[in-house]
Amino acid sequence: MRFVAPKVLQALFVVWATYTVTFLLIHALPGDPVLAALAVRAGDAATTDPEVLDALRAQYGLDGSVLHQYVTHFLALFRGDLGVSMATGYEVSDMVARALPKTAAVAALALALGFAGALSFTIAAYLARPHWLRSTISQIPPLGIAIPAFLTGVVLISVFSFQLGWFPASGANGFSSIVLPAITLSLPTGAVFYQVFSAAVFEAGDAGFVRTAQAKGLSQPVVIGRHILRNAVLPAITIIGIQIGYLAGGTAVVETVFSRDGIGRITVDAVLARDINVVTGVVMVVAVIYAVTTMIVDLLYGVLDPRIRTRVAAKPRARATTPAGGADA
Amino acid sequence: MRRLLNPVALLSVLVLAVTLVAVIWPALLAPYDPFDSVGTARLEPPSWDHLFGTDALARDVFSRVVHGARLSLLAAVLATTAGAVLGALIGLVSGAAGGRVDFAVMRVVDVMLAIPGILLALIVVASLGFGAVSIAIGVGLGATGSFARVMRAQVMRVRNEEYIEAARTMGLRRPTILLRHVLPNASKPIVAMASTELALAILAVSALSFLGFGAQPPTPEWGSLVSDGRQFIATAPWLSIMPGSVILVVVLAVNGVARNLGGNR
Repeated sequence: MRFVAPKVLQALFVVWATYTVTFLLIHALPGDPVLAALAVRAGDAATTDPEVLDALRAQYGLDGSVLHQYVTHFLALFRGDLGVSMATGYEVSDMVARALPKTAAVAALALALGFAGALSFTIAAYLARPHWLRSTISQIPPLGIAIPAFLTGVVLISVFSFQLGWFPASGANGFSSIVLPAITLSLPTGAVFYQVFSAAVFEAGDAGFVRTAQAKGLSQPVVIGRHILRNAVLPAITIIGIQIGYLAGGTAVVETVFSRDGIGRITVDAVLARDINVVTGVVMVVAVIYAVTTMIVDLLYGVLDPRIRTRVAAKPRARATTPAGGADA
Repeated sequence: MRRLLNPVALLSVLVLAVTLVAVIWPALLAPYDPFDSVGTARLEPPSWDHLFGTDALARDVFSRVVHGARLSLLAAVLATTAGAVLGALIGLVSGAAGGRVDFAVMRVVDVMLAIPGILLALIVVASLGFGAVSIAIGVGLGATGSFARVMRAQVMRVRNEEYIEAARTMGLRRPTILLRHVLPNASKPIVAMASTELALAILAVSALSFLGFGAQPPTPEWGSLVSDGRQFIATAPWLSIMPGSVILVVVLAVNGVARNLGGNR
């Protein structure tokens, strides 16, 4: 139990802090959210009647003092209440709940593809003998971060939908419609996985126990499977949080390219409509998913690697960070 | 200097030089006006006359890409600079102050790192409105956290060096020591990091402009050129693929130079 409590607190902290940063940002930046949303909807003909505006502010939960809003909205989070969309009038929580499964299906397949792809490249690079071949292979996965997602998506659509006709170019009907979006998202995900895998595998490859295993005459596949991969997969779990960041960012572009309904599409439409309630709602949902996943991973890591549990009191674990520092792409 | 001789770095520098020309003097590279149609040739495939083909309004796509470089790249440079300066400042203050201030500031930075950069940018764009400047502010804010982290680590390292000790013994005031002695010695990794972040900023800026939050038509911008072409993807895929590939090549070139900057440390 002593191991669990701090992790739960940490997750709560991330959610609270994300909420605070988002709230501060929205209130510190100039502009009235209600006026902005009205202007997008009605152009310059938007009403400026103070009574109407006050009524709208109350309806969207944007009335009262800043402190009042800050507290009530945060408490509402725990009831699953994310406010009302200014553009559509729907409950934000309903919009998110409807969209989340569609996004999750793509994200899950993208994670799986990225994981498998990164693993294959890692093994290929590890086994490649002439030095130039190894360095060529290891140059390829990092390209996954450099390729803009919209370019990948457009190329995939034009080849596999319009020329070959294998997959639909848009929509969200059945498994075939999630393949191309998932491949698009799997490139940056795979690149991040590869970074961690290859670091771990090449380190393990030089370690004493691998030499021992080779000297014992174990076959190459056994050495790779039993000794090296086990050391590679464990650190991969710790970067799931970073991956969720990439997926949350990438999904906005990917769902636009493939005209799918989902979290990303909702967010983009909300920003286009200057619908601050929906944008905040989506950010909070992503933050909760991130916090809970990180918490589970931390706990799981303690189970998988007993060294962590005993070490936790003595020395804080180094956090896995990418040099890229987040999901800017 | 030996490193500049490697072919990847050389090619990268060459690409960036051409890109720089496009930013400063686009008319030198662009054969046509980016806003006017070049006749009746609509949706023409790439040819020697029109390297990237023509769009639905019979405009030369290559010329539009060349003219779009300025807005797209300036936004990315602005974002990176803003993120680096703000982040370095936060890291400098936090690292120099130490104690509770440092703890509190770094927890805020942790949160900025936890929120995906693009979501942070979307919040900024939703509240500030559309355009290259708000995109740049949003993307810059998304990069601030990592700069702050690196700067703080550097300040922690430099703080205990002998020359800082010496400056302190000489009776220099704290702000003077920070700006004259700590900052210059701590900022080298920030420069290397800024070049990597620039590549990410180009991607983020073009993604946001692809989503429609950037300059409004007919102003050419790299991301919006890709999204303009998207509706003709069945018949004229080059409209999207060509501008998209230019973004990729420039990002790779920035990365190629960045890796050499980083390696020289």
